[in-house]
Amino acid sequence: MASGIKDKVAILSMGCSRFGERWDIGQEELMREAYAEALSRAGIEASAIGAAWYSSHYDDIGAGKSGVPMAMALGLPEIGVTRVENFCAGGTEAFRGAVFAVASGSVDIALAMGVEKLKDTGFAGLPTASRGTLAPMYLPTHTNPGNFAQLARAYEAAHGLSRQDLKRAMAHTSMKSHANAVRNDKAHLRKPITIEQAVQAPLVADPLGLFDCCPVSDGAACALVTTPEIARSLGQAEPVLVKAVQIVASNGWEVQQQGWNGAYVHTTRQAAKRAYAEAGIADPRQISLTELHDCFSITELVTLEDLGLAEPGTAWRAMLDGRFDADGAQPCQIDGGLKCFGHPVGASGLRMLYEGWLQLTGQAGARQLGAPHSALTHNLGGAPAQNVCSVTILGL
Amino acid sequence: MAHIIRIGACLPRLRLERRAIAAAMGWLVPGAGAGRGTRTLAFWDEDSVTLAVAAARGALGGDSAESLTFATTTPPFAEPQNAALIRAALRLPALCRTQDATGTPRATLLAVQAALEGTELALIAAADRPVASSGSNAESRMGDGGAAVLTGPEPGLFAYLGGASLSAPFLHRTRASGAETALDWEERWQREAGYQAQVPPAIAAALDRAGVAAGDVDHLILPCPIPGTAATVARLSGLTKAALAEDLAERTGDTGAAHPLLMLAAHLPRIVPGQIVVLAQFGQGATALVLRAGEGVADHPGLEALDQGIPEGNYLKLLAFQGRLDWDRGLRGRFIVQEAQSTAYRNAEALLGFVARREAETGLIRFPPRLDVPGEDWPLADLGGTIATATADRLAYSRHPPNCYGLVDLRGGGRLMMDFTDPEAADLAPGDPVRFVFRVKDIDENSGYRRYFWKAVRDTGRGL
Repeated sequence: MASGIKDKVAILSMGCSRFGERWDIGQEELMREAYAEALSRAGIEASAIGAAWYSSHYDDIGAGKSGVPMAMALGLPEIGVTRVENFCAGGTEAFRGAVFAVASGSVDIALAMGVEKLKDTGFAGLPTASRGTLAPMYLPTHTNPGNFAQLARAYEAAHGLSRQDLKRAMAHTSMKSHANAVRNDKAHLRKPITIEQAVQAPLVADPLGLFDCCPVSDGAACALVTTPEIARSLGQAEPVLVKAVQIVASNGWEVQQQGWNGAYVHTTRQAAKRAYAEAGIADPRQISLTELHDCFSITELVTLEDLGLAEPGTAWRAMLDGRFDADGAQPCQIDGGLKCFGHPVGASGLRMLYEGWLQLTGQAGARQLGAPHSALTHNLGGAPAQNVCSVTILGL
Repeated sequence: MAHIIRIGACLPRLRLERRAIAAAMGWLVPGAGAGRGTRTLAFWDEDSVTLAVAAARGALGGDSAESLTFATTTPPFAEPQNAALIRAALRLPALCRTQDATGTPRATLLAVQAALEGTELALIAAADRPVASSGSNAESRMGDGGAAVLTGPEPGLFAYLGGASLSAPFLHRTRASGAETALDWEERWQREAGYQAQVPPAIAAALDRAGVAAGDVDHLILPCPIPGTAATVARLSGLTKAALAEDLAERTGDTGAAHPLLMLAAHLPRIVPGQIVVLAQFGQGATALVLRAGEGVADHPGLEALDQGIPEGNYLKLLAFQGRLDWDRGLRGRFIVQEAQSTAYRNAEALLGFVARREAETGLIRFPPRLDVPGEDWPLADLGGTIATATADRLAYSRHPPNCYGLVDLRGGGRLMMDFTDPEAADLAPGDPVRFVFRVKDIDENSGYRRYFWKAVRDTGRGL
């Protein structure tokens, strides 16, 4: 019987580049920016790192395939570097690899890095990810707004929302994240917006408008993980511990059979259930802060319900009531989230963990919450009907 | 004796108003948009192959065929054989003999004559999506469409009494291999030295072989885009009492290879069992077939798709759909279509025939099918389904934005994320019933290569 990952691995340090349209630098520099911060905060030499995991989604832009681009960019001490790719959950996948390596006793300290250089495509929005040879022969030419607009329409229908209520709840979601990001000097978008601006923005995929969509950003984030004992020996009296890491990939049920109504994300529910069991959490509403995969405003609303932070069909009203605002009962996306911190695909999972780690160690500066004791991060890669979902829980 | 058992037809839903052609091109080409009414306009994902498949599905009516001839002057592929794709889409047996017949719109009746003089269960699927110079007479006169007949020993719509074909090196219209648009010679010469000189001898020979007197012919179906010509041919042929089939000029335009069968389908409500019909076509000679109407014509609804069109007032859609407008596709529209022919071939039954698999152990219906899992083929093309989720995506590249797609719950089980198509696809919503049509999936702008798959359209319950 597996005993789970709880309390077996600690975060020694983390780093994160500034996110945004970084026209001046490439993937290698982004990685070095995050890595330098993590190393300096850890107080270790690079030679102490025993293995590394590297997440990057696109390889036709960015630095290419394999672990070599990261090993070369960081000048790593001739160690194993594994490139992972798991859609938008790739950053968490890299983290999981590093965590498992430490937990196994294989290495003392491992590095997890996520990076994406998206602004080398020449157009707005994400490029279409390659899908092999067969899938393009029958699947539609899709975009992520198109995929998640289906979620919004299904959520609206399943819970009997008016279009006006849906639009205002989605607008509040984005307005809240813009307000939060004003206090984050690494965020991509740092201007506040109004609900009216969001409601009236041009449609991208009905009912999603421009302000319902996260930006396309360049960025990198990384973690150095180790054992709790080593973390303490390096001066961390109360290190941030990994309580759970769960990843679930769709097996085709949602997209090939008729049981799913399209109004929630099945994998999120599965991953959350396992993560809570692994972490020993009975009521997820006790978690201090959450960083959700708000690729679109509707995703945040649906995910709040799928994670058990709101009852099904109620997140939209709770959002309008301010429960997830910075000063609400359950602050969500305190760093601005994907919506405003930005979304460099392969880095986003680690960016969320970075915020959790900052908050739990009291280093979040102007946006520091009172005395958080736990943090949840969630990634959703792909489309609501077919995706990879991760749920990670950190705690003291 | 061989029979025309059944007839099927497909008209694109868009009907381009000729006054829109005149408004767009009349300042440059005097006479642009000539004629009244509308012409059919194939949607961006309709071509001769897809129109032929749609028409053939109606003609087959669930039957099979021992041979398939695809008649067209506008085959999407010079190579490979287009009929091989059509056979696969129709799921006809592999031993069904396939061929493309091209070079003249009369290829259709040449193929029908050959079929009626044989003993096979033969499918002739005809379609054209012609291209003509902007503002030309041809552009205005032509239309896009498909029609098909199934012939064989079983009685149906018509019994074959006899036919004749004559050949002439009469080059009223020429188009070199690889050229997109044709050169048309003077209209009066076509009419007088062509139709009037060549069709009557073909009719006379056909009537002689059929043992039918000219004065006994009840109906003449002769496509001719030159007004009044069919009446002159009837007179010159001695068809004293024959009713002339409407040429559909003001509704569909001349759909080339499909047109004699489309006109026949539209004329069916005027034909009663026992009447004599001459079905004729011109093009480097002429073909005439003499038919006697069977019981199948009684109460035939005719060509219902004529009344199911959507008026279109934007001429530029014709240019855009035909790939003749250098519009701003954006960088997102610049992608390579990976042919992956070996992948396509090993999945051909799924991709062209639209066949899922019902897995033996679980009873689950799955698309794409797991070819290594025991189970039975589960054809989807005629099943239809219900929309589960839908989107109208303004970011995705599309030749007719927004790009519409979503999950479709397949009738009988299983589900598939698929494209929605047709001009009104953005109106589709969860819960709407859909049926499936075979359409162009992707076109590679550089190579011209195209591939096909099935898409969902609203099921109005009346077909198209």
